[in-house]
Amino acid sequence: MKGLLSFVLLASLFAVGCSGKSAEGDNPKATDSGSGGGKMKIAMIPKGTQHVFWKSVQAGAMKAGTELDVEVIWKGPVTENDKDGQIKVVEDFITKGVKGIGLAPLDDTALRIPVKESQDAGIPVLIFDSGLKDAETVSFVATDNKAAGKSGGMRLGELLKGKGKVIMMRYQEGSASTIEREEGFLEAMKTFPGIEVISSNQFAGPSVETAQTKAESLINANKKGDVFGVDGIFCSNESAAFGMLRALEGAQLAGKVRFVGFDSSDQLIKGLEDGHIDALVVQNPVQMGYLAVKNLVAHIKGETVEKRIDTGAMLVDKANMGKPEVLELIKPKF
Amino acid sequence: MDRKSLVRAAVLPVVWLALYAIGYLMLPEAFGSPRNIETIIRQTIIVGFASIGMTFVIAAAMIDLSVGSAVALVTVAVATALKAGWSPGMAALAGIVAAIAVGAFNGLLVTRLKVGAFVVTLASLLAVRGTAKGIAHETKIDANLTWLNDLTAALNAKTSWMLLPIGGWLVIVFAILGALILHRTVFGRNVIAIGSNPEAAHLSGISVSRVQLGVYLLAGIFVGMAGVSQFARLSVGDPTVAEGLELNVIAAVVIGGASLSGGSGSIFGSLIGALIMTTINTIGSQAGWPTWIQAIVTAVIILVAVGLDRLRSSRTSG
Repeated sequence: MKGLLSFVLLASLFAVGCSGKSAEGDNPKATDSGSGGGKMKIAMIPKGTQHVFWKSVQAGAMKAGTELDVEVIWKGPVTENDKDGQIKVVEDFITKGVKGIGLAPLDDTALRIPVKESQDAGIPVLIFDSGLKDAETVSFVATDNKAAGKSGGMRLGELLKGKGKVIMMRYQEGSASTIEREEGFLEAMKTFPGIEVISSNQFAGPSVETAQTKAESLINANKKGDVFGVDGIFCSNESAAFGMLRALEGAQLAGKVRFVGFDSSDQLIKGLEDGHIDALVVQNPVQMGYLAVKNLVAHIKGETVEKRIDTGAMLVDKANMGKPEVLELIKPKF
Repeated sequence: MDRKSLVRAAVLPVVWLALYAIGYLMLPEAFGSPRNIETIIRQTIIVGFASIGMTFVIAAAMIDLSVGSAVALVTVAVATALKAGWSPGMAALAGIVAAIAVGAFNGLLVTRLKVGAFVVTLASLLAVRGTAKGIAHETKIDANLTWLNDLTAALNAKTSWMLLPIGGWLVIVFAILGALILHRTVFGRNVIAIGSNPEAAHLSGISVSRVQLGVYLLAGIFVGMAGVSQFARLSVGDPTVAEGLELNVIAAVVIGGASLSGGSGSIFGSLIGALIMTTINTIGSQAGWPTWIQAIVTAVIILVAVGLDRLRSSRTSG
């Protein structure tokens, strides 16, 4: 019995200690979570909690929470990319009885059952970042990837003054968001009759390594002696863009071709600084978190909310990369 | 039941109740609702099924690291069968057969290769995950919703008389069957015997390799049930799901009082161990703990629970 007693004591001390500490660290307004204070509580469930991208979404969500005086509980699956773990988190917030749930589903199908359970229990669900099939939700708040890809294409067309030969290196088969970006880019290319897309069917593959290999063979295929037969390049995500950057630098071609990439990372920003990349299309995760919370709360308060909300993307280049609103996106402070 | 296992049988539920009480103190609204208990039990179904099988494996002084991969393979098998137009019942059966095949693979290699269960099942962890990804062409397989998905679904107004979804009741039925096999049959006694001392078991005429193979085949059935439940929850066949599940299952069995050196194990204890792990998770989620704190708290609870158990057993035996 003595052992049991000490176990209970230890466990309770630890549990209470942790809850206090985490509440302070994560969200200063979470301390009244147990007492059921009057403030509206909503849950935001990302795909993971480690990536910088999600930290930025969280920052936007917390900002909206402070502005609206709503308690935002930010909680992802314990293991990154654990679909069943994310289902559990949704279920736990249904039983906790939050007023609304914002969810970035790890799978466009597997999360439909808990989302339906939530709605059956009278808790509205808003989807952000990635879509969910066959489900009626409050709204879908995410980057309009097609429009973002198109803006990248328009910029490349302007840089080339409407003429030249262009390569688009795709990201990966079956990745919905990047396929939309690539479609948007090709659409933009069609508006420049002087531009010829000489390659758009090569895939960078899952990693920087595969992307670099593919980029090297693309470069070699278009090199005749010392003449490089390509004027402009577009890559549809971070790993593809970085692989291409490394291949261009290796071939002494960096800076000699116009290059537009997608997403940002420290290395890609360095590429911008060096003049090796002309522009990056950067998503706006802070805005995504902010608009998700804002619209979820609006819906709970009975206001009408748009079914599809574009959180926008921004073209970052050497000229604007020092501005505070751009720095917030490319060098978030966490 | 000897005195030691009686004490253990009484203590573990009290530990769980204490944990639940802590949850109630922290989150009175959620932990006071019957829905919360139902949710915790639903979330325990997968680890629960797998922990019944793992109790046999650990009691026989072996290990099975391939559980998570096998569960993923089962979800892929069920989804593939459903997509090919099989009835839900037949698709579930196909999934269970796939898990038994993994069990047979493990059992045959352990008994033939003599390199130890750890190495064999470490290899099958990789091979089975690879097979699942291959069958699914490295993506997930969508399937239409069927009655299989209701096995683990939340109860609604029409089904609330059942108290638990069917999957929850099935865990209880399978646990009772498992306990009967472990404690009331010759096979069960042989499992404990080879787990305590394989040489002595061999000398007393037990066919050690036959029992070991039997243990993996039996565990395959329970892993199959876990896989079908995982499919029911996800509604898709996903070759990447349940990564690391085996560690949660092993933790549940160890909290439940089994020794990793074999010779002991309690199916009832393993289930309570699984419940304890889910309950910590639920407290962590609902209180909004950052995931890293949740991982550390779970680690501490495992150590405290197992440490207490060892203290208690050394006192009773010494």
